[in-house]
Amino acid sequence: MQGKRGARGRAAAYTGQDLREMFAAATSWLEKSVPDINALNVFPVPDGDCGTNMLLTMRSTLDEAYRAPDNDAGAVAQAMARGALMGARGNSGVILSQIFRGLAQGLEGRESFRGKDFADALAQGSTVAYKALTRPVEGTILTVAREASAAAREASTRQSDLVPIMEATVAAARESVARTPTLLPTLKQAGVVDAGGQGLYVLLEGALHHLKGEDGLIRDQRPEVVPSSVPLVSRFPQMMAEKEEPYGYCTEFVLEGNRKLDAEKIKKSLSGEGQSLIVVGDEKILHIHIHTFDPGRILHQATSLGILHQIKIQNMDDQHQEYAEMVKAQAPPAEIATVVVVSGDGLGQVFRSLGASVIVPGGQTMNPSTREMLQAVESVPQQKVIILPNNKNVVPAARQVQELTSKKVKVVPSETMPQGVSALLAFNYDADLATNAAQMESALPAVKTIEVTRAVRPARIGKFKVEKGQAIAFVDGELAAVGGSPPGVLLDVLQKMDTEKSEIVTVYFGKITRRSEAEGVAAGIREKLPNLEVELVYGGQPHYSYIASVE
Amino acid sequence: MVRIVTDSASDIPAEVARQLQISVVPMYVRFGSEVYRDGVELSPDDFYRKLAASPTIPTTSAPKVKDFNEVYDRLAQETDEIVSIHLSSTFSTAYETAVRAGGTGRRRCHIEVVDSRTGAMGLGLLVIAAARQAQLGQAGQQIARMVKESARKTRVYVCFETLEYLRRGGRIGRARTLLGATIKVHPIVGLDKGEVVPLGRERSRARALDRLCRLAGECGHVSSLAVEQGAAPEEAGRLHASLQSLFPGTDIYSSAIGCAVAAHTGPRVVGVCLYGG
Repeated sequence: MQGKRGARGRAAAYTGQDLREMFAAATSWLEKSVPDINALNVFPVPDGDCGTNMLLTMRSTLDEAYRAPDNDAGAVAQAMARGALMGARGNSGVILSQIFRGLAQGLEGRESFRGKDFADALAQGSTVAYKALTRPVEGTILTVAREASAAAREASTRQSDLVPIMEATVAAARESVARTPTLLPTLKQAGVVDAGGQGLYVLLEGALHHLKGEDGLIRDQRPEVVPSSVPLVSRFPQMMAEKEEPYGYCTEFVLEGNRKLDAEKIKKSLSGEGQSLIVVGDEKILHIHIHTFDPGRILHQATSLGILHQIKIQNMDDQHQEYAEMVKAQAPPAEIATVVVVSGDGLGQVFRSLGASVIVPGGQTMNPSTREMLQAVESVPQQKVIILPNNKNVVPAARQVQELTSKKVKVVPSETMPQGVSALLAFNYDADLATNAAQMESALPAVKTIEVTRAVRPARIGKFKVEKGQAIAFVDGELAAVGGSPPGVLLDVLQKMDTEKSEIVTVYFGKITRRSEAEGVAAGIREKLPNLEVELVYGGQPHYSYIASVE
Repeated sequence: MVRIVTDSASDIPAEVARQLQISVVPMYVRFGSEVYRDGVELSPDDFYRKLAASPTIPTTSAPKVKDFNEVYDRLAQETDEIVSIHLSSTFSTAYETAVRAGGTGRRRCHIEVVDSRTGAMGLGLLVIAAARQAQLGQAGQQIARMVKESARKTRVYVCFETLEYLRRGGRIGRARTLLGATIKVHPIVGLDKGEVVPLGRERSRARALDRLCRLAGECGHVSSLAVEQGAAPEEAGRLHASLQSLFPGTDIYSSAIGCAVAAHTGPRVVGVCLYGG
């Protein structure tokens, strides 16, 4: 060990123990993102849950890393590569294991490593991963590995310390993830970024947090899903129908050879047996993954070469069927599309689940450009589109879209997220554009919105004097309470409001808000206002610790 | 006099059926290995108690040919014309089975079987109208024709607590677009030409009840209507009162959803059925 974390000198050297800790932190960070990554999975669904697969691969990687007796970087990296290979699950897990294999090659024989060594090793990881696949596909975890490691090497020519190198790596990974839909049509159709790529980005970011001594942040926050660089277009059932092909079985196992194993030879002999073939490992152990109609033949062939471990066979037709059902259930084939501006991944999920056709990310400032909204409008197959801006400042930009497109566009001027929810619920599948826009607009006042944040500067608004950092609550845009804590002001305004005729309070808690605190708020509301039903939902919105709706 | 037969998916209150001499053939409701005849061996209250306690979800099946034959044979002693009106063939094989039963045996009685293309009290109101025609001495064929014409003018609007039962029972149809909300919503669906159709979603029950009233108010000519509920008597009472002021002077039937229908709606459902014939 070379001194305390986060307080290293320039170009500090890192040991095997540092490598363990880096990836242990990275794994904790990944674990928090697993549900989000799983949700990114698109048709076809060869591996089920990508996030879970990557997490389990990382756990096996760490088990071996901590089991390695010595502390030099090369030996720990070697152990990690072994653990990754043995524990690899799913396409992304297998590719991840190859990145670790390359990393181990790069660090071989080293007692400790510096920034440049790590950058080179990462690049080696990318190279090995590409080689492992018969037909590498761009727009996946591979692309992210390649572009991130290229950025690492580039940064290492200017910097010698690992922290700035990793900063450049993580930034490049993020951009690369955002671009994945432009490279892979299935992602574009599904309107999501690549799940495996997202997983790799989260791992790198977790490692970076640890290197910067931000372990508290890993504990309290959670990784963000990278928004796609193209607008998120919902999946349409008609797209599903066109692409229905037979799938067969996803067959995966670890082969421990009786004699020396020849990966190339085995790859060649299996290549005619199915698709998505991956054969990786060394002459003692191979990890094999293939989509085939006859898993029996594959297993038969493999047993003649050695002992099989961790055999996993899944019927992909079943998975595909389930997925098709899910998509059909979610995407209403309406004649009118809805484009919704949303800030926060949780809120995005809510709008999606209520049938929004396209989500335009509001971003940090909540002000998407007219161009972004125009792109979203143009991206849907429908000729009639309703836009929900969900913010007062976005309404004008949304209105401009009407003049820039040949499509018929109506803007329902929702000023808050809850108003947007209320409007979307009023959407009628059978009604025409004008009727729908009118009905949705008339649904806006049916809900009261409370927004809670902290003051960024001192101010005097109406009868309130606000100090910087104080918690403030707005009701339908009007300042209604000032206090010490966000939960306090939220409860305060709720009690002051006329809720006699209301039934339900929905509390969307923000990105920076701890779930435990939000649960406390929900309990507080139930206690103080027992006639109201309280629903707690992760909103993930920036800035606002709470957005609540009363209706 | 022409006699009227239906199945228990019509949800006609027992008292009304008795007065109008309507014969109700029970559907079957199954909890695991236990099988009950709807309304005969299992009441709606017992059904909901069992539903809450049961680890498996109940399933339903249509009456058997034998069940229809028993009823037809008994009625054939008293009449030479029967009109048998049933749950939409899109939801159940009750209609088909009734047709088969009507064609077997050597009765001198003529049996006209009608596919209502609707269900619950949507079907119930049609059956009640048919029974009234029968009491007025109308002929079987005329009654059957009247029912077929009016079936298109029957409306059913229901607010659900969850669409899970409809989905699992495979009867969700186009209303599947309402599934999957990640926040609490009360879905509202209708029956249209034998299909479950999505009408909307509300976040509060009060607004959902308002929506049902609004939908009812938008119907053209309404000659009779019914409020139906499953494990939601208070809300049904509120809906009844609002509808009464919307349709003054019109009789509104109150009905508890039978076990066969309840197996596909689950608890806490309330709806309005309108008949325009």
